Amino acid sequence: MSDFTPVAAGTGIRARVQRGGAFLAGMIMPNLGAFIAWGLITALFIPNGWINEIARATGSIGADETVGFADQALTLVGPMIVWLLPILIGYTGGRMVHGNRGAVVGAVATIGVIVSPLALQLGATPPASVAELGPQFLGALIIGPVTALLLKLIDRAIDGRLKAGFEMLIDNFTAGITGGVMALVGVFLLGPVVFWIADIFGVFVKGLVSANLLPLVSVVIEPAKVLFLNNALNHGVLTPIGADQAAEAGKSIMFMLESNPGPGLGILTAMLLFGPRAIRPTVPAAMVVHFLGGIHEIYFPYVLMKPILIIAAIAGGASGVLWFSIFNLGLVAPASPGSIFAWIVVSPPSDLLLNMVGILLAAAVAAIVGSVLLGFGRNEASSLDLDEAKAQSAGNKYKKPAQADA
Amino acid sequence: MATIDGSSVKKLIVACDAGMGSSVMLASTLKKQLAKSGVTVEHSPVANIPSDADVVVTQSGLADRARHAAPGVPVVPFQLFMGDPQITKLVKAIQNGETVEL
Repeated sequence: MSDFTPVAAGTGIRARVQRGGAFLAGMIMPNLGAFIAWGLITALFIPNGWINEIARATGSIGADETVGFADQALTLVGPMIVWLLPILIGYTGGRMVHGNRGAVVGAVATIGVIVSPLALQLGATPPASVAELGPQFLGALIIGPVTALLLKLIDRAIDGRLKAGFEMLIDNFTAGITGGVMALVGVFLLGPVVFWIADIFGVFVKGLVSANLLPLVSVVIEPAKVLFLNNALNHGVLTPIGADQAAEAGKSIMFMLESNPGPGLGILTAMLLFGPRAIRPTVPAAMVVHFLGGIHEIYFPYVLMKPILIIAAIAGGASGVLWFSIFNLGLVAPASPGSIFAWIVVSPPSDLLLNMVGILLAAAVAAIVGSVLLGFGRNEASSLDLDEAKAQSAGNKYKKPAQADA
Repeated sequence: MATIDGSSVKKLIVACDAGMGSSVMLASTLKKQLAKSGVTVEHSPVANIPSDADVVVTQSGLADRARHAAPGVPVVPFQLFMGDPQITKLVKAIQNGETVEL
């Protein structure tokens, strides 16, 4: 560690939580392109989507009608969310554990969890056909890597004991049997368990939303973000829940909790106006990368530099979430990266304006609270400590390159 | 502290949590700065640092994981994604082939 870098306490636990979360996020993040493809198709073609709303606005269809080709395109939505996305997650999870062989058995086993509610007729209103199935992200996140791990152990056990010429036969059948057996485990064992867990979790989240208590999650989310747990939290936990909700309701507030670029913009604004003088020149470029580019990591160091600012981040985040939940707003797909542009693209037409207001509200609250916490720069000169003095020389030296990079 | 011999650095890895966001940004900056020095600059998830890396650059919040993922490879932690003095020193050392303590 250099002396420029303050030693954060408890890095051991933090590193462990980061690792666990990164494993979950690692199954989702490579597939974000697929999530976004699904989200865009949904946003364009659903009855209240862009195509139909525009057609209604121009008077080419009546208020209750929909455009024919939009309905046809809408056929894509169900299979993509129910089958494609969970299978991709199971596949990716398997690949992380045991390469391509793991990926294949992970995908096979995921099917078992997906069809389980139909096979066992789970829930109050069990699905009547394959078309009524819902997505099973939690199940995919579990069974993909577990199945791959099982195959890895089997492969290790028989490695080196095969007669020459039988490798392909054995390899294909160990994979086939492992995948098949785990698909059955998915149907009969894991399927009911994750269905039950998702049910409880869904009720819990709905309860939080309807009691307007959802803003409280910002108390957890904002500090976790600046400890670089942002991906773990957002894509490891919130994206799967959000995708479940979006499959049902067409949009979800879960996609908004972590990805809102407002609080970070507010923090950076406070830093620009009242932060350590030496740091201020680096802020405008960071604002561009954060707010337009969606790389939130860029503002975390500013909070770590002035940890009291975490209160501003929480206040900003919670104000945004309160706003989103009061007006029942949502996004149709994960906004990733958390850029203002990504938000515009995945906002449903009816929510776009209020979503933007929510971002600005979060930014304004974080900026005001942050400015107060920084004492409007009053104590700035006297409180310059060693770290800041170092940063000062760095800031001066690097002012030009930093701006040129942006 | 890690001692880095700038002249022996042939492959520099920028690592971040997912290997998709901030590391890509910083890697593209460093790539430009180190193009003339013949150094390969790549980005990767912190859990998957290539073992043939000569030096790993990562945010200090991820440094522990980087050391864990790539034992034996010197890790240079930095704080700011833009204009960090650690990175400036490292780049200078590589460009001039000097040895630095970071």
